[in-house]
Amino acid sequence: MRALEFRRLIAAGTGRSLLVLLGLIAWSASFTAQDYIGKRLETLAPQEASALIQVTDLGSSDQWVSSGKVVPYLGLSNDIQWLRLKVDPRTENGQLIEIQNAGIDELICYMICDGDIIATYERGIFHETPVDSRIGTYPSFPIPLVECGELQALFRLQSSKPLLIPMRITGPREVLRGAHERDVLFASYFGVILVMLLYNLFLFLSVGDRSYLEYSIYILMIGGTQLVLNGYAPVFGVENFPWLNLRLTHFFGVFSGLTTIVFAQNFLRLSHYVPWLHKLLNVYFVLYVVAFILAMFGLLVWSYSVINFCAGAIFFLIPGAIVTMRKGYAPARYFLIAFSVFIAAVIVFVLKDTGLIPYNQWTFFALPLGSAFEVILLSLALASRINQLKREGAKAREEQLELAQVNEKIVRDQNVVLEERVKKRTFELEEINSTMQGTLNELQSAQQQLIQSEKLASIGQLTAGIAHELNNPINFVSSSAQSLRRDFEDLNAIVEAVKSLPADDPNLQARIEDIHTLLGQLDIDFTQQEIEELLNGIEDGANRTSEIVRGLRIFSRMDGDNFIQADINELMNSTLVVLRSNLRSQSQVSANLAEDLPEFSCQPGRLNQVFMNIITNAAQATETTDLTLEEREVVVSTLMVESIGQSWIEVRIKDNGVGMDDAVKAQIFDPFFTTKPVGEGTGLGLSIVMGILRDHNAEVDVQSEVGLGTEFIIRFPI
Amino acid sequence: MINVLYLDDESHNLTAFRAAFRRDFQVHVTTEPTEAVRILREQPIEVIISDQKMPSLSGVEFFELIMPDNPDPIRMLLTGHADIDAVIDAINKGQIYKYISKPWNEAELKSLVEEAAALYHQRKVMAREGQQLITKMDEARVLARRIHQLTSGGNPATQENHMEITDLANQIDRLLQS
Repeated sequence: MRALEFRRLIAAGTGRSLLVLLGLIAWSASFTAQDYIGKRLETLAPQEASALIQVTDLGSSDQWVSSGKVVPYLGLSNDIQWLRLKVDPRTENGQLIEIQNAGIDELICYMICDGDIIATYERGIFHETPVDSRIGTYPSFPIPLVECGELQALFRLQSSKPLLIPMRITGPREVLRGAHERDVLFASYFGVILVMLLYNLFLFLSVGDRSYLEYSIYILMIGGTQLVLNGYAPVFGVENFPWLNLRLTHFFGVFSGLTTIVFAQNFLRLSHYVPWLHKLLNVYFVLYVVAFILAMFGLLVWSYSVINFCAGAIFFLIPGAIVTMRKGYAPARYFLIAFSVFIAAVIVFVLKDTGLIPYNQWTFFALPLGSAFEVILLSLALASRINQLKREGAKAREEQLELAQVNEKIVRDQNVVLEERVKKRTFELEEINSTMQGTLNELQSAQQQLIQSEKLASIGQLTAGIAHELNNPINFVSSSAQSLRRDFEDLNAIVEAVKSLPADDPNLQARIEDIHTLLGQLDIDFTQQEIEELLNGIEDGANRTSEIVRGLRIFSRMDGDNFIQADINELMNSTLVVLRSNLRSQSQVSANLAEDLPEFSCQPGRLNQVFMNIITNAAQATETTDLTLEEREVVVSTLMVESIGQSWIEVRIKDNGVGMDDAVKAQIFDPFFTTKPVGEGTGLGLSIVMGILRDHNAEVDVQSEVGLGTEFIIRFPI
Repeated sequence: MINVLYLDDESHNLTAFRAAFRRDFQVHVTTEPTEAVRILREQPIEVIISDQKMPSLSGVEFFELIMPDNPDPIRMLLTGHADIDAVIDAINKGQIYKYISKPWNEAELKSLVEEAAALYHQRKVMAREGQQLITKMDEARVLARRIHQLTSGGNPATQENHMEITDLANQIDRLLQS
């Protein structure tokens, strides 16, 4: 029922927390000072009390001294504290003694009348009291007065928390009213806390910023601490767990301290702005852990002392916040205000405990009120921080955007420049290209010219050879013809002499003798032999001339690029004929041509060029050796071979010349490569040969050994 | 008759040459350079004709070979094809009198041989006369030295001396007139 009430109160307090808080401030200001009876209370020094065993002896002890304070403060101690109140119930305004301190772990009240204990009341965490036996609402301890003229009320007090005794004698209505007021106040407070908690949790869930979660935990701890401190521990349902119940205040103290440190460190970004404070707070962090351990092991007073000591850490947060603020971190301002308010509240709270300022509902509520303000202000601070972050983010984004725009502009400009460049380059490239095309054309035409000149050189070489070959027979044929005429004239003279012989000439004998004389004079025998020789020469000359002309006819197809059916041997013979005069002085050239070779499709003129080139090279290669003319050999052979499932006409041109090493061999088909002195060869011969053979799909193999000779093996597919 | 030596690797040319010129010249023909050298040694050859293009050696090479021992015969080169390198070589190395291309013109060749032979004989005569001139000059120099002795200081200008000087001067005069 109480919990239900409480929840209702919380529910009532959850709306418009700030307005409610403001209302509360106005309301609490209207509280009248309560009639605390501290000055009537007497205290007994614990060492005096421990000497006495009987409660009644204690009551009659003469060591009691007046507390002298409206709200006595018995300090924080493990000792059992004793209080005595002398009262005449008949003269009092009310019938209930109320101690408005929920932090008392154990309270036993002995009512002594005329030296006898006539009633005992036990309160506190260790003395579970049925809820309905209580008078009023938690957290006060109302104790009913007993009928007696000279009533002595002895209070045995023990707590692990500071013992402050705001005691009054009053009626049930007032107790109820006071409790009710507190409930309202704390419900409102808790409402604020709850709102802020939910608000920040919600923010955490939606924004995802970790600091909201930290803050939520912080709020939870702060609120919890306040509730526990003011006797609302049952809210957490710990009544049936005395061990935890006893330590709940400590635990909440520890955790609220820890969360404060963590929150402050992260919120103020102390590691960044005030590293020394960050480290110092870490020390406090450790101390809090120590306090927690102490509490766990039951050293509750020690634990509380440590917690109290650690609470001083919040004073460091003020300079920390100021430094941070000075360094331009705006949210620190809110933090500073929030903590200033809270610290002010703490100061009020402490001053109230020490009696320097009056103990009333207002001062009593100062701490929760300050805490509520702090929570709200910190919430604002957090919002500001988020705003700051957002602003920074936005600014960063803006800067990025600006940067991006600048970049984009640069890129655009660059693009324009690049396009220009590309255009220029493209233009240049096109120009280069056209120049290169021109150069290529020139090169191609130069190549054509070179090929042509190589061809012309071949033809020139040929012409020289053929001219010599032809001029020799022509020379002796024509010369012989003239000589023959003269010989015939001689013979004619004889014939005429014989013809002119009359058949009946009596001087026949003498005429015959004359003819014989003439025969002798003209040396007719020699002339006859000479005629024979001259005729042989003419015949031979005519044959050779016709042979050369026939060779030339085949060679005259040199420029024809048409593929026609031709006989390889015929081609080879014609080549040898036209080369004969050149080769004769270089080498012994022999041909070993296979019979019955089929005709095959080729360019005879170009093949003549191929054979002429290779045979000439072969002859020249033999020329540079130490061999005599008779020993130098060039053997040309043709044959038919079967290879790779195909028939080939194979031409072998073998010499016993100087040969080539591999380096030379690798280059012989390269254009312009020559082993001849500058000016003696174009270096194109074999490269043209290669081109021609490629056109014939011929395969070429070159075998060579330095000092032994070279063999060209060419295969034409048929 | 003019002694002509003709060297050619082509025997038909030799036959044709002999048939053409045997009536005019004493013709010696051979296909072998070694044989040609032998003929040069044994016969009074006045004109040498050689083919340029031969398998074993060229005409120019042949001329170079025989020149040290046979400087006098007039050399003529015969070739089937006008090859400028051969011409340059022929003139520089072989000291050729004439360059003849095949086919030859019989009449032209005949007159060239005759010219060459004439040149040969002219050179012979000039050489002989030169030699005679040198001999006479030497004799004249001996006489002149004697005159110099007689006319230099120390010798009395006797009638006898005068007579001798006159005689010596007449002798020199006769020498130079011959």
